[in-house]
Amino acid sequence: MGEMAVREEKEQDPRIPRIVSCIRVVPDFPKKGIMFQDITTLLLDPKAFKDTVDLFVERYTGRDICVVAGVEARGLIFGPPIALAIGAKFIPLRKPRKLPGEVISENYILEYGTDCLEMHVGAVQPGERALVVDDLIATGGTLCAAISLLERAGAEVVECACVIELPELKGRERLNGKPLYILMESR
Amino acid sequence: MIFYQTTHDKTDSNIDLAGFNQTFLCFGRSKIQVRTNLGLLSLLFPSLSSRPYLSLLRLAKPFPLICKRSMASDGAEDHRLRRIASSIRVIPDFPKPGILFQDITTLLLDPEAFRDTIDMFVERYRDKEISVVAGIEARGFIFGPPIALAIGAKFVPMRKPKKLPGEVISEEYSLEYGTDKMEMHVGAVQEGDRALVIDDLIATGGTLAAAMRLLGGFSSTDRVGAEVVECACVIELPELKGRDKLGGRPLFVLVKAV
Repeated sequence: MGEMAVREEKEQDPRIPRIVSCIRVVPDFPKKGIMFQDITTLLLDPKAFKDTVDLFVERYTGRDICVVAGVEARGLIFGPPIALAIGAKFIPLRKPRKLPGEVISENYILEYGTDCLEMHVGAVQPGERALVVDDLIATGGTLCAAISLLERAGAEVVECACVIELPELKGRERLNGKPLYILMESR
Repeated sequence: MIFYQTTHDKTDSNIDLAGFNQTFLCFGRSKIQVRTNLGLLSLLFPSLSSRPYLSLLRLAKPFPLICKRSMASDGAEDHRLRRIASSIRVIPDFPKPGILFQDITTLLLDPEAFRDTIDMFVERYRDKEISVVAGIEARGFIFGPPIALAIGAKFVPMRKPKKLPGEVISEEYSLEYGTDKMEMHVGAVQEGDRALVIDDLIATGGTLAAAMRLLGGFSSTDRVGAEVVECACVIELPELKGRDKLGGRPLFVLVKAV
């Protein structure tokens, strides 16, 4: 379900190869065996970073999206430029005790233990159409929690958007049936 | 003058975010901060329940009647700065008692105010040959990238320890109690880079000063670094004199919170 900007059988967008080549793989981070997909090198290439944002903006312009929710911390880098370009509100979804004032929380499962994501009460109104943005989808646990928070507040989550997918972790199956749009699979 | 503590009515789910804002009133030359709670006021002064008076004290979209001055003096900028300033929400006693937290998330909920915020920085920096915008985790990540994209600069995240993969340089800085550390990737900046440091707010200036030391190459063994041109924040807390901690580098802010 969903799609990505690179498909073997279709012509890929000409901006994609440069974006892919900007991603740096750091082995054994944060722990042994993990090949970390580092987007900071993408941010060091202004053209590639702009192309990344443009690809999302082109997809979501004119689709009546009034909310872009970005997951802390790297979703805070990609979400706001998209929100600004499509005229949507930006909502940060944060780790516990970072957001001041009244929040709602959603727990989710990690490989070992649990974590928690929070959203401000009143940030989203019922019926608003929302996009969830993060740099990467792995197991899908974080995005699933993000979707829950938005739906509990009455929003309609239209799609999840990430730069990178780790397809072998099958995160896209954990998105409550929501579609996923990505630019590339992990290197 | 009587001071009231703002309370949050957690049982009223219809209060929108703007309702939590504080209204600061100014009488003549003296700055008197009156933090009002609508219910508390009308309880103590029943005659105040009349609409016209209440609408003066608490606006649907609270506008600080004074105390949030702005940096720019150009009259044409005023309408943008007024919108930006009024969209910032103040939360008392967060993260701990006595602190009035300046919450920019409500600014992000106003697309026009958010757009104006970015535009005001972009207008200032677009012709200054800035090659690097460094944003301080986490709220600097919200404002830095849109500025970087608009002026064609690299974006460099300045992060808490152990978040950045690969080789990093670190700089320790003081907190009220204890210390913290900030990290930047090795190789993110080169000699000759001209850098801007962005955060949502400057308080004591410790975080910005640490970022400047990292960018300037003072923390690395080879001392390769950028020239930090300016620090830029949405909000300044001038009483904390953070501006004096920036090693003589200039600071640009949109709003001062008094």
